[in-house]
Amino acid sequence: MMPDDAMTSATRIVGRSVPRMDAPGKVTGTALYAADFALPGMLYGKVLRSSEPHARLVRINAGRAARLPGVRAVITAADVPDVRYGGSVKDERVFARDRIRFAGQPLAAVAATSPDAAAAALTAIEVVCEPLRPVFDVAAALAPGAPLVHDAWASYTALPILHRDGNVCNRARIVVGDVERGFVEADRVFENRFTTSSVHQGYTEPRAAVAQWDSSGQVTVWSNTQLPFEIQTTLAEILQLPPSKVRVIVPGIGGGFGGKLRIGVEHFAALLAMKTGRPVKVMTTSEEELTAAYARQPATVAVKTGVTNDGRLTAREARLWFDTGAFAGSGPGVASVATLMLAGPYRIPNLLLEGFAVYTNKTNFGSFRAPSGPQANFAVESQMDIIADALGLDPLELRLKNIVREGEEGPTGQVLTAVGLEECLRRAADAIGWRDRRPEVGRGKGIACGWWTTTGGSSGVYVKVNPDGTVALNTGAAEIGTAALTGAAQVLAEDLGVQMADINVVSADTLSTPFDFGAQGSRTAFAVGNACRAAVADLKRQILALASKHLGVEESALALREGSVVGAGKRATLGELARISQASGGGLIAHGTFVAPPTPYDTKRVEGHVYPAFHSPSFHAHATDLSVDAETGEITIHRYVVAQDVGFAMNPAAIEGQIEGGVAQGLGQALSEEIVYENGRVLNANLTDYKMPTARDVPRVESILVQHPSLVGPFGAKGVGEPPNIEPPAAIANAVASATGVRITSLPITAEKVALALRERAK
Amino acid sequence: MTRIALSLTINGQTHDVLAEPHRTLLDVLRTDLGLIGTKENCLEAECGVCTVLLEGAAVNACILLAAQCQGRAIVTIEGLAAPGQLHPLQRAFIDHGAVQCGYCIPGMILAAKAYLDTNPEPDGDGVREALAGNLCRCTGYQRIIDAVLSAARALRTSPPSQAAR
Amino acid sequence: MTFDYHEPTSVREAIELSARFGGDGRFLAGGTDLMVQIHRGRLNPRHVVSLQCVPGLDGIEVDGAVRLGARVTHRRLESAAALQGALRGLAEGAEVVGGHQVRNVATVGGNIVNASPAADVVVVLLALDATLTCLGPAGERTVALDGFATAPGVTGLRPNELLTRASFPRLAPRSATAFLKAGRRRAMEISITCVAARLTLDAGLERCQDVRIALGAVAPTAIRARAAERHLEARPLTDGLMRETGRIAAAECRPIGDVRASARYRALLVATLVPRALARCLERIKLGAP
Repeated sequence: MMPDDAMTSATRIVGRSVPRMDAPGKVTGTALYAADFALPGMLYGKVLRSSEPHARLVRINAGRAARLPGVRAVITAADVPDVRYGGSVKDERVFARDRIRFAGQPLAAVAATSPDAAAAALTAIEVVCEPLRPVFDVAAALAPGAPLVHDAWASYTALPILHRDGNVCNRARIVVGDVERGFVEADRVFENRFTTSSVHQGYTEPRAAVAQWDSSGQVTVWSNTQLPFEIQTTLAEILQLPPSKVRVIVPGIGGGFGGKLRIGVEHFAALLAMKTGRPVKVMTTSEEELTAAYARQPATVAVKTGVTNDGRLTAREARLWFDTGAFAGSGPGVASVATLMLAGPYRIPNLLLEGFAVYTNKTNFGSFRAPSGPQANFAVESQMDIIADALGLDPLELRLKNIVREGEEGPTGQVLTAVGLEECLRRAADAIGWRDRRPEVGRGKGIACGWWTTTGGSSGVYVKVNPDGTVALNTGAAEIGTAALTGAAQVLAEDLGVQMADINVVSADTLSTPFDFGAQGSRTAFAVGNACRAAVADLKRQILALASKHLGVEESALALREGSVVGAGKRATLGELARISQASGGGLIAHGTFVAPPTPYDTKRVEGHVYPAFHSPSFHAHATDLSVDAETGEITIHRYVVAQDVGFAMNPAAIEGQIEGGVAQGLGQALSEEIVYENGRVLNANLTDYKMPTARDVPRVESILVQHPSLVGPFGAKGVGEPPNIEPPAAIANAVASATGVRITSLPITAEKVALALRERAK
Repeated sequence: MTRIALSLTINGQTHDVLAEPHRTLLDVLRTDLGLIGTKENCLEAECGVCTVLLEGAAVNACILLAAQCQGRAIVTIEGLAAPGQLHPLQRAFIDHGAVQCGYCIPGMILAAKAYLDTNPEPDGDGVREALAGNLCRCTGYQRIIDAVLSAARALRTSPPSQAAR
Repeated sequence: MTFDYHEPTSVREAIELSARFGGDGRFLAGGTDLMVQIHRGRLNPRHVVSLQCVPGLDGIEVDGAVRLGARVTHRRLESAAALQGALRGLAEGAEVVGGHQVRNVATVGGNIVNASPAADVVVVLLALDATLTCLGPAGERTVALDGFATAPGVTGLRPNELLTRASFPRLAPRSATAFLKAGRRRAMEISITCVAARLTLDAGLERCQDVRIALGAVAPTAIRARAAERHLEARPLTDGLMRETGRIAAAECRPIGDVRASARYRALLVATLVPRALARCLERIKLGAP
């Protein structure tokens, strides 16, 4: 029912669209998610959040709340160790202590016998605060004399490499060559400005955690985090405990997209459970998700590009300012990645690229699928079309002329291999009928291309053969819905010579599974798959040695084939060997680890940079054909094509599913989604007015899987999950410009913007 | 707040529940009856993860009071097929790669079932329209539509046996 | 957020309960508005009176005139055979509301009493000259839908009254209805702007004999675009005239700018959707004419 890739007929399982392993549980409603998790005697926790965006917190009085029926505990900053935490800059607290920095910031938490009782208690907590002058956007935050979001910023512990100054919590920079000379060399110089709104990951399962302490002073937290080991570390830091006293388990996740990376509700649950001596469950509401979660940073991008008349890029100076909100969080890292995305997969000899993460009095935004990607790509790929249009060049040809090629350098000097970009561009263009473009009022085609990384970090697995011949895969990675663990299991099955049905996966428990850097950065199938390869190599040695002894045959005459060791006319199944080993030798079990080798780059080119190279980079091109209603501005997408260089298509159907979903999510950012702020408060904090695409809004997406194998990934695979989110805004903007002659430079590209722009132009 | 006695018919079985009158069907299903297949999210009838069948029609359990449901047949995902069996819709969702994180899927399958029960020969647009009240963030809906169309074909050729509901 | 639940089994009992509870009580029909308001903390009734066991409120009667029981769901409206043909606009207004789950329970009466300025079905009923039947302790009265809502969420429903029916007269021959909606996405959308038109042509099928144009989400309540209607009277329906009519309707509306759309865009949509709705009516009349 699902297509097999003819290229991989040499492999049994990898390269095939095998059904994902966890589907039966999910379609029957038996799969357990953190939001479903419950323990006997459990209490329910809720969080009181500030309604003021910037204020001095004078007093919190929880006395009346604590006495309400059903309430078992109320905690504030006074009940929590005086700890600042944070990934790049330690500027965050569990609760505001004397300063409130965004509307939605946690002030207190309540545990009660029912969610209603907890919610009622929140309204009984008295908060006295004195408003301070706020800064609500980057311009305000950077203006001379602007109030500081963090007065004591200079005293915070932070990654030494960051460039911090007042409301700027990082400035990352790439410098190559001499941009001024590059602009002189150019025949034309284009300067354009773009803005993007904040969008939410939109996972359908709220963030949830249940915490329970045991008598030894260890806390176990069941959570839908994407990074159980990071939560373990952060929680240990907050609780002032050794990490071994914190156990994080992920029962199941209903979507993450980066929004469930950082600590969300786990600390509230753990602290309330500590105070009450009972398990406590905390879950976010839709309103909390849209006001106080890890949405995508709003961005302003200024791009200045020099080009010769025949379309050769000579220089680019670009700056991207991220509104990172009240705490640094992912900001410094996202600002770094942005610089690589501002260069794009192009050959530009002179570069000055800067990414800024700027504090404002809004929620601390976070990482959302391909962080910085859509914002930067929207800007640079829109400008490529502006350039093509001005020079009278075909936008496809302009790109083909300037894209990087095999063996050339990336912007920070890394050598690029497995560069499948040209194939992606040509195949996407062919599929959309690029050559058949005819001027047609109200209808047009657009293309956009880009690149992305496969994030590094280490993964470990244990692989064990059971006495019945089945195999247990024990991994620290959590399955967030991408089927990454199915992909890793495919690698395991392929290498070990067993069937998918023989494999059981145990995952994401900081106590009993090996370390994994986490389900982020499109790395899971890549890294866990490779860890499986390492484990199987070791397991095979054990199996053959044992079989040799048991069968009395030289190892060199033995082979592992389809679940058995065979040779010299003799045979032993894996199950038999596992039984023998279990009885006499402790069992057939191997530990495999993998960490991607660092990608060399030129350190002199970067400053303040947390992410200076893209590992096993992927390349992608999107093309779309759409119509615009000239009066209402409404956009109807007729076709949408994606060509993505995936290295090796581990599971074509699963990858296509990632592309289809990623484009849908990207179209939401492109056309209809934005978290709307006014004076630091969200106006549309509900799903009525935060407009995610429904089944009637998403066109059919056609996927072309291009394969230029990575030198590092399992069977040549590259990371695939994030890239489909990157190009939709630019592809849409370019197609709309082609259809109407009108260029929209802010996201989302709503019908209103298009209609009003068309009216303006008609004047 | 005084609890009231409710007799709820879920998946063909009667459950006697004591619950406060303001409690929703969703809450009673998940908390009192341990039927966690019906999911919770927005609690405002905007996302559809809480979809159940009420007398055969797809409804959002999050805005339905449990008290309103006395004597009215409710079907949740747990009741779609006998234990160990799969309804053709469930089979099709697996086979067509329509499942990713899976959180929207129980609601999606039930909304699809309600639609197919009255529209046995659907087309893609009809399916999209029928599922417009079920948000999915992972799949882009494409394979879900394909799965529903495929299940419709399967149901036309061999309707489910009496054992499956 | 706690309340007592009541399930009256007759209209009289429902009204008695409403009288007893006064401002502390609310009727519950489909719950798609009431339950959401309660969840958001905007309403906190002490008593909820469900109408689901009250007989006689969910009929669709057609004998020339059409009478819709207040508990008729959007789902039944969109699929009612009697509401095809010339009355297609009413089905169109119903079928764009929410998704199937919402339409399976959301009622016409609840939609009218909730009085959102963007209520789609209300706009069509306005174009159909609908009247409402309200039953209270003092008895039954009939009131025009036009003017019933006076502000967002505020209607002329008297304390303890129950809306039992919405009715509208038989359409004249050579008539058709159409409904159009604009939103930021294609489903689950509260209208940014919506337009309903009812057109009746003269015997020559050229001139406007009678017309109603109703607008939603561009004023504190759904409104009739009366100046636009007058502009069409007795005139042949050309493209140019219909566009002029749209501009006049746009000038009549009083939209606000909010998180969904600016006032300017809403007015622009009126100017665009009115001629399109009229054109659709025109096409439907000509197709249906012998």
